[in-house]
Amino acid sequence: MNLLNKLKLSSREASLGIILLISIGVTGLINPRFLTGDGTRDLLTSTSVVALLAIGITPVVVMRHIDLSIASTVGLTAWLIADMCAKNPDFTWVQCFVVGPIIGTLVGVVNGVLVAWLRLPALVVTLGTLYIVRGLAYVISNSVDYNAQEMPPSLIEGLGQKVYFGLLPFTFLLVIISMIVIAYFMKYAKSGRDAYAIGSNPPAADLVGLKVTSRTFLAFVFSGAMAGLAGVFYLMRFAQVDSTAFYGQELAVVAACVIGGVSIFGGTGTVVGAVIGALLVQTIQGGLAALGVDAFWKSAINGLLLIIAIYADRVLAVRNEKQLLRQRIKERI
Amino acid sequence: MAKKGDLILEMNKVQKRFGGAVALRGTDLKIRAGEIHALLGENGAGKSTMLKILAGVHINDGGTIKLGNKDFMTGSPQASIEQGIAVIYQEPSLFLDLSLAENVFIGRQPKKGKIIDWKFAQSEAARLFKELGVELDPKRQARGLSIADQQVVEIAKALSMNANIILMDEPTAALSASEVERLMTVMKSLKASNKAVIFVSHRLDEVFAISDYITVMRDGATVSEASVGDTNLQKVIKDMVGRELTEMFPKTDNKIGSVVLEVNDLTNPAYFRNISFNVKKGEIVALAGLVGAGRSEVARAIFGVDKYESGLVKVNGVPLPAGSPVEAMARKIALVPEDRRQQGLFMIAGVNRNISMESFAQLIDRGLINFKRERALTNTWREKLSIKFNNQADPVDRLSGGNQQKTVLAKWLATDPDLFIVDEPTRGIDVATKAEVHRLLNQAASEGKAVLMISSELPEVLGMADRIIVMREGRQVAEFSRKEATQEKIIAAATTGVKSA
Repeated sequence: MNLLNKLKLSSREASLGIILLISIGVTGLINPRFLTGDGTRDLLTSTSVVALLAIGITPVVVMRHIDLSIASTVGLTAWLIADMCAKNPDFTWVQCFVVGPIIGTLVGVVNGVLVAWLRLPALVVTLGTLYIVRGLAYVISNSVDYNAQEMPPSLIEGLGQKVYFGLLPFTFLLVIISMIVIAYFMKYAKSGRDAYAIGSNPPAADLVGLKVTSRTFLAFVFSGAMAGLAGVFYLMRFAQVDSTAFYGQELAVVAACVIGGVSIFGGTGTVVGAVIGALLVQTIQGGLAALGVDAFWKSAINGLLLIIAIYADRVLAVRNEKQLLRQRIKERI
Repeated sequence: MAKKGDLILEMNKVQKRFGGAVALRGTDLKIRAGEIHALLGENGAGKSTMLKILAGVHINDGGTIKLGNKDFMTGSPQASIEQGIAVIYQEPSLFLDLSLAENVFIGRQPKKGKIIDWKFAQSEAARLFKELGVELDPKRQARGLSIADQQVVEIAKALSMNANIILMDEPTAALSASEVERLMTVMKSLKASNKAVIFVSHRLDEVFAISDYITVMRDGATVSEASVGDTNLQKVIKDMVGRELTEMFPKTDNKIGSVVLEVNDLTNPAYFRNISFNVKKGEIVALAGLVGAGRSEVARAIFGVDKYESGLVKVNGVPLPAGSPVEAMARKIALVPEDRRQQGLFMIAGVNRNISMESFAQLIDRGLINFKRERALTNTWREKLSIKFNNQADPVDRLSGGNQQKTVLAKWLATDPDLFIVDEPTRGIDVATKAEVHRLLNQAASEGKAVLMISSELPEVLGMADRIIVMREGRQVAEFSRKEATQEKIIAAATTGVKSA
C-alpha cells in the first residue's frame, strides 16, 4: 500500500501498471504457461471486448455521467451483423466493421439526446436503453442464433485468428490504437479538456461558457459507437451469437474503469488507466484459475477488487485532506 | 486603454427587484481606472445584487450602466467577460481536478495548430503568477490549494482575459492575516497596472488600509461615496447602520437563574481558540461577529457535530462528552442549524414528520408510532408558533421560508430543551415572521430555557441579547452587557479587534 501511495502521487497509471506487472509475474510463477506467447495472446484476446468498451465509456464517466446500455448494444450489434452476414454470404469483414459502429452510434444518439439536451439523469436513461436495446434483440432475433459457418471467414478465421509477433491479437492491436488516439485527444484537444472541466465542476463549466450540451452529446455518441465496434469484436472472439450475448456485462466495464482510476464522480481518469484496469481484472482471474480457484469465484473476486480499488482511493483522499488541514493550521498560527 | 483616473464604470440609479422584493432601489457607483474601490453595507444592503448585475448573472430593471462611453451589455457571464469585467466570488469556482495552468486558460486554451500548446499555457500561467508575486506551480492540481491561492488563480485568469475591472466579493472573508496581506499586495499591483478593483468587505480596518474610494450602501441604495481621506471609521459605520431600532424585539425581563451551559477554553485550532463563556437559565446570549469568525463552529462543537481539540463543555454542571450529538440531545440541548434546507429539515417529508422527528419517545405507544399523538403534537406547535400550512402531510418544501424556519424551531422546541442554540434564526425571512421568531425566543427564555443565539444582524443582537460575546477570526475579542452594547462597539470589535470605537 505504501508503494502504491508514493507512486500514485506522480501518476496513477504508472502505479497501476506496476501492480499489473506484479500480478502477471506472480501468475507466471504459479503457471509458467501464462508468460508464453499463447498465454499472453489468451489474456489479450479475452480482454479486448471489455477494454474497448472501457475506452468508450471513459469520456462519459469523466463527465460525471454513466452509460449502462453498452452491453445490450454489444449483444444487439453482434446478432444483427451475424444475421446480415448469414443473409449475404458475399459480405466480408469490411461490411461488419462499417455496420457495427453505425448501429452503436444510433443507440448513442438516443442516450445523448436524452441526457445532454433533455438533461435527464444518465443513470436512469441508460438503464432504460439497456432494457430497450436488449428487448429489441429478443424481439428481432426471434430465438434464432448463429454459428461460425454462417459468418464471413475473413472475419472469424482471418482477422479473428490473426496474431502479430505470436502474442498480439488483431483485436487488441485495435484496442491499443484507439487507446493512444483517445488518450492523445483527451489531453491535447480542447473538447477533451472540456470533458474534464465539465466533470470536475459542472456549474463552473457553465459560468466559463463551455459547450456542455454538445460535448455531453458527443461523449454518448462515441460510447455507443465503441459499443457497436465491440459487438464485432464479440463475434470475432466467440464466433457464435444469440440474443442474450454479453448479457449483464456492463458493470464489468464500469468496474474496469473504476479499478483503472476513472473516478465515478467525474473529473479524473484516463483511457490508459481504463485499459490497464481491464487487463488487471483479467490477469488476477487468470492467476486465481492457475491457483486452482473455482471459476464460480470469478464474480465475487471482481467485486472484491472493485472495493479494494475504491478503498485505496478513499484512504489517499483522507490522508491528503488531513495533510492540507495540518498545513492550514500551521499557516494560521 | 483608459488613463489613470478616467471614469471607466458609471452606474446611475440602477434598480432591481426579485418578484415583490426590491433589492436595489437606486444605486449609483463611479469607478475610475487605477483605483481600489470598497463597497460597504450590512447584509441585505444590495452589494451582491449589484456585483451580480455587473457579472452578467442578473439583469437590472432600471437605471443606466456605462463602461467608459459605451453602454454595458447585460445578460450573460460570457458577455461581461468580453467587456473586460471579471468577477472573483467569495468561494472561487475552480476546476479542482485540473492543473492551475489549465484553470487559468479554461475555454481559451492556447493552440498550436489543432492541438493545445501546454508548454505555452504553462509558461504564460507561470508569468502571470510571478507578476502577481505568488509563484505557484502551474502544473499543480487545483485541489488542495488554499482559498487564498485559489483567488490568485482566479485573478491570473482575469488578467489573462485582459479584464480591466475586477470585482471581488468578500475576498478576505476566509483568509488568515498573512494571506490578507498578500492579497493586498496583489490588489496594489493591479492598481499599479491601471486596473480598477471593486471589493466588498466587512473588515473595516482592511478597507481603510487599502482603498482609495469607499461607497456605502444601505437598503438597496447608495448612501455615501467619498475618497478615503474625506471620511473616517465612525462616519462609515454610521452610514452603514443608519436605521432606528424598531419594536421588532419585544424584550421581556426574565429572572436569570443558574448556569446551564459552561464552556471552558474550547479550542479547535482550525476554527477557534480559547473560547470560554456561560449561558444561564432565562438568559439569551448572542455570539456576534463576521461570517467566518468561527461562531457556527463553536456551536457545532458544543452540540457534538464536530470534535474539538481541548477544552471542556459542562451542561448543568456535569461535563458533556465531546463529539456526540446523541448525548447532547439526551442532556436536553437543541441546535437549530444555520442552513435549514440542508441541515435542519427533511424537505420532501411532511410538516408532521418534521415536527415530530426528534420527539419519537412522546409518540411511541406499545413500541409503535401512534399517529393520533403525532397529529396532536403537530397541532399544538402549529398553534403555538402559528405555522401556516394546509395539510399536516404537506412537504416542507412547499412552505414559505418563514414557515419552514418555524417548523425547524417547533421540531426542537418539542424536545423541551434546557439549552436552545439557534444559528442565524432569521436569515432570509420577512420582517413580520422575524418579529414572531424573536417573540418565540423570548418566550423560550422566559420559560427558563437558556438560549444561545448566533446572529450576523446587529439590530437583532442588540434587541434580543442579555449579553453579547464578539468573536473575530476564531477568538473571543469582547463581551458586552445589554446596557453597554452599541452597534458601533460591536462592529469595531468584530472588524478591528479593538474593544471600543
